Amino acid sequence: MDEERRLMGRVARGDEAAFTELVGRYGGRLLGVARRLLGSRADAEDAVQRALLQCYLGAGTYRPEWAVSTWLYRILTNVCVDELRRRKSRSGELELPARPDPPGEHLDLRRALGRVPTEARVLLALRYVDGLSYGELARIRGISINTVKSQLQRGKSLLKSALTKGGAA
Amino acid sequence: MKTDSVDEILKRYFQPDTGAGDLARQVLRAARESARESGRLLDKISIQTTPRGVSLIRAERLEKPATAAARRLAEQAREELAEYFEGKRAFFSVPVDLSEAPDFQRKVLAAARRIPFGEVRPYAWVAQRIGHPRAVRAVGTALGRNPVPFIVPCHRVLQTGGGLGGYLFGTDVKSRLLSLERTTPVYEGCTSTHIVCRVGCVHGRHMRPDNRVVFASVEDARSIGYRPCKVCKPQAA
Repeated sequence: MDEERRLMGRVARGDEAAFTELVGRYGGRLLGVARRLLGSRADAEDAVQRALLQCYLGAGTYRPEWAVSTWLYRILTNVCVDELRRRKSRSGELELPARPDPPGEHLDLRRALGRVPTEARVLLALRYVDGLSYGELARIRGISINTVKSQLQRGKSLLKSALTKGGAA
Repeated sequence: MKTDSVDEILKRYFQPDTGAGDLARQVLRAARESARESGRLLDKISIQTTPRGVSLIRAERLEKPATAAARRLAEQAREELAEYFEGKRAFFSVPVDLSEAPDFQRKVLAAARRIPFGEVRPYAWVAQRIGHPRAVRAVGTALGRNPVPFIVPCHRVLQTGGGLGGYLFGTDVKSRLLSLERTTPVYEGCTSTHIVCRVGCVHGRHMRPDNRVVFASVEDARSIGYRPCKVCKPQAA
């Protein structure tokens, strides 16, 4: 933990090698969350790049009482949520990916997730990509642990009903 | 279906992606470019105001405000424009004074103001909206002479095929504004007050960066216990 905070200190001083190391550690997980939220690798890469740029330029505002991962996920989810807003306003209600991945085995789940409200979907992605605790999820979205639990429960029950109706499982 | 099986499906679906590839290098390159781009547009523009609002924004030197009220509005406009160019503002609250504009142009500008932040519409949409569907060319001319660009967002109007069309400050600036708006969020909440605002609200200025969360809609924010700001009224955006 302390080592990561030292790493952030180096990033804040503009150390490019430290930033490359940080991206090496978290890039895959950030991409995983973004891809599951946005639905395509290309859109996820755009979002992660934007989030990492904000991290690099704003590293001076990082406060050591935050776990680095929590801080990174906060910035990434802010970028992804705003991308979902843009899609919603473009397409009415359905938040379809701008450049969808080719259909695959997860198609039903992707569709079903599209029916889960944005906040619950963000929490599901964070919870299942990186196994984050309720406390970390609460910090990332600025809500109470009870709200995290109820949102996850609500999201899962909506998923369950969407998957059952779709005959996916 | 059992809840356990939903858990299993989710675990399989949400496996981390492999390989962040070239991400760090791309981000570092973008960071250097953004530093180079800081030859800021704001330094190049002049703002003219009346006591009623901003009346003209142009690249050349303009008349200084004649009254204290007009001076205050010019300062407010400059501040809001600076925040907008930095991606920290998604709306303008400074009033505009279009009393010198002809009636047709006023209607065109009013229609352009209704295009939401971050979105674009074709010239034909504006023509339709003001009840002159065949006056597409005249709409283009009226927008091209927009007295208060940026605040009245004529840059959000494109050709029907998606071409940029013209722009008072050049198409490079038009394209930069569009991409700036694509990366500026519209709703942000404060994790300590649980209030959701439009980005650029006076409340947001005092928010610590690590207290900031972005929302896709006011309803989403409400669903997890945030309430809309009474100053910027994000629900009316």
